[in-house]
Amino acid sequence: MTTDLGFWVLQTLNALQLSMLLFLLSVGLTVIFGLMHFVNLAHGSLYAFGAYVAATLAGTLGYWGGFLLAPVAVAALGAVLYYTLIRSQRRAGPMAQVLVTFGLIFVAVDATRLVWGDLPIGIAIPAVLDGQVALLGVQYPVYRLFIIALGLSVLGILTLILTRTQIGAMIRAGVDNDQMAACLGINVERMFFLVFVVGCALAGLAGAVAAPVLSVTPDMGLQILIPTLIVIVIGGLGSLKGAVAGSLIFGFVQTFGAVLLPTLSSVLIYALLAAVLVTRPQGLLPAKG
Amino acid sequence: MFTHTPLRLTTLAIIAAGSLAYAFAAGFYGLEILAEIAILAILVIALDLVAGFGGMVSLCHGALLGVGAYAFTVAANEAGLTALPAMILAVALTSALAFPIGAVCARSTGIYFIMATLAFGQMAYSFVFQSPLFGGDDGLSGAPRPDLSVVGIDLTDSRAFAVYAILLVALAYLVAAATLRSGLGRSLVGLHHNEKRLRALGLTVWRAKATAFAISGALAGLAGCLAAQHTQFISPGLLSWTVSGEALVVVILGGLGTLVGPLLGAILFVVLKHEISAITPYWHAIVGLILIAVVMSRAPGVFGFIEARWTARTRKPQGKEATADA
Repeated sequence: MTTDLGFWVLQTLNALQLSMLLFLLSVGLTVIFGLMHFVNLAHGSLYAFGAYVAATLAGTLGYWGGFLLAPVAVAALGAVLYYTLIRSQRRAGPMAQVLVTFGLIFVAVDATRLVWGDLPIGIAIPAVLDGQVALLGVQYPVYRLFIIALGLSVLGILTLILTRTQIGAMIRAGVDNDQMAACLGINVERMFFLVFVVGCALAGLAGAVAAPVLSVTPDMGLQILIPTLIVIVIGGLGSLKGAVAGSLIFGFVQTFGAVLLPTLSSVLIYALLAAVLVTRPQGLLPAKG
Repeated sequence: MFTHTPLRLTTLAIIAAGSLAYAFAAGFYGLEILAEIAILAILVIALDLVAGFGGMVSLCHGALLGVGAYAFTVAANEAGLTALPAMILAVALTSALAFPIGAVCARSTGIYFIMATLAFGQMAYSFVFQSPLFGGDDGLSGAPRPDLSVVGIDLTDSRAFAVYAILLVALAYLVAAATLRSGLGRSLVGLHHNEKRLRALGLTVWRAKATAFAISGALAGLAGCLAAQHTQFISPGLLSWTVSGEALVVVILGGLGTLVGPLLGAILFVVLKHEISAITPYWHAIVGLILIAVVMSRAPGVFGFIEARWTARTRKPQGKEATADA
């Protein structure tokens, strides 16, 4: 099995697909943390909300309607959250933030149960992306390749924005030292809002693309939260490179662990996380220094 | 620093007398709730010890409780120990596990500490979930209750079990209070206020933190033993991080860093949970809203609120009045 090239190609693609999904989630969370020092445990709930919006709209507007509108809806929810909860808790310390967003998870899970019920909702893969394609000798679902491509394009766009544009330079300045950035005339408050909303939109996008491959359930936000947190802790809170590295490490360790060492697979990633925490408590590629 | 103010002693006496009186008056359902309160109470005492006094906000206490429950059940069922030695073994094992966790996490503070404890908790969760020895997803059943027939007490009776559970809460409280009044407890509070100063004074910071974490872990393990004996069935869900999160919620709602407050919080939480879930299946949402309201208003929890009012009344009224709505 392990000597077959097809096996490695297949598992590599699986790992990449998981990594890209996690990247979409963790990049928003980590940049929000880097900039605002805010930990949003409800980030997974935003992802679940995105999946529900996509699943609901798929019935009337088709898949692409949901795909485009889910990030918008989640961004709108994020904007509301920002002005009601997030902004006032920004300087309240990590425990208050953890508690408020933990309370939000409770509310979000029950709200989705109330609106959409307890039963899983499934949506169909759009016709364009349905089916399989031959790639290096293996048959691979087109939709999963689409997730990989989407993740890579978001990564490319974010990298360009952060490194080549003025707003990117402002964000980098804010991560480095938000007070100094404010002194230099950057409207830090507006930037915080913008980054938070974009982070939420990416979580919604992740929910929308995940909806056809995973079943949409009220606790899907809780299930994805821990992997997302692991990704940003391994990678280093606040850094884009860290989110990329963390997502790839998680995706590959999880996927290859599950097929090569099935008895150890889930402990493996936590052992890796513990090793990172012991040797480099700030993560592999921290935002600062 | 932790002191027993008259208000705290009075509250403790009321809780102790009230719960014992209830244990003798309540019916079967009430006794089940009482045992549930006792388990949560021990867990939140353990958590308040490190989070409230040491500033170590842990999200792995649910996992420590679960480790205690599993260690107890396996020691009793597989190794054939009787309940009491199995309990001692389980508590010692949980404590021995908490020490290195505390030592590793002691290097980080704030959100990094929270994340690190979350990671260790999840590690324990997935280990138990996957390991065939622990029954995986199906859990384990058949944890024995201690045999006290020598002194004429039958713990399979739910009234006797409730009293036994209350006594264990008292034991846990005494251990926590004694820890806080010892040199270690004073160092812990000092560390919370100014770690650099304590380091300069020659304290081995990581060791103090890890020791406090180990004591807290022992108490969480005790709560786990009690949980296993109560339902006589355990599942990996006990180790889930949401259990730790809920324990933290109870500590906050009760009053962080008061030791008495979390006891009140545990009573309120379990009673409210049963009352609200009888009305609506969405009780988590209501708890979530209360939690958000309490944290946003910066109210110091139920007991913190009472304490602030009490000191404002007994001492000369000072400039600032606490106007927080709990």
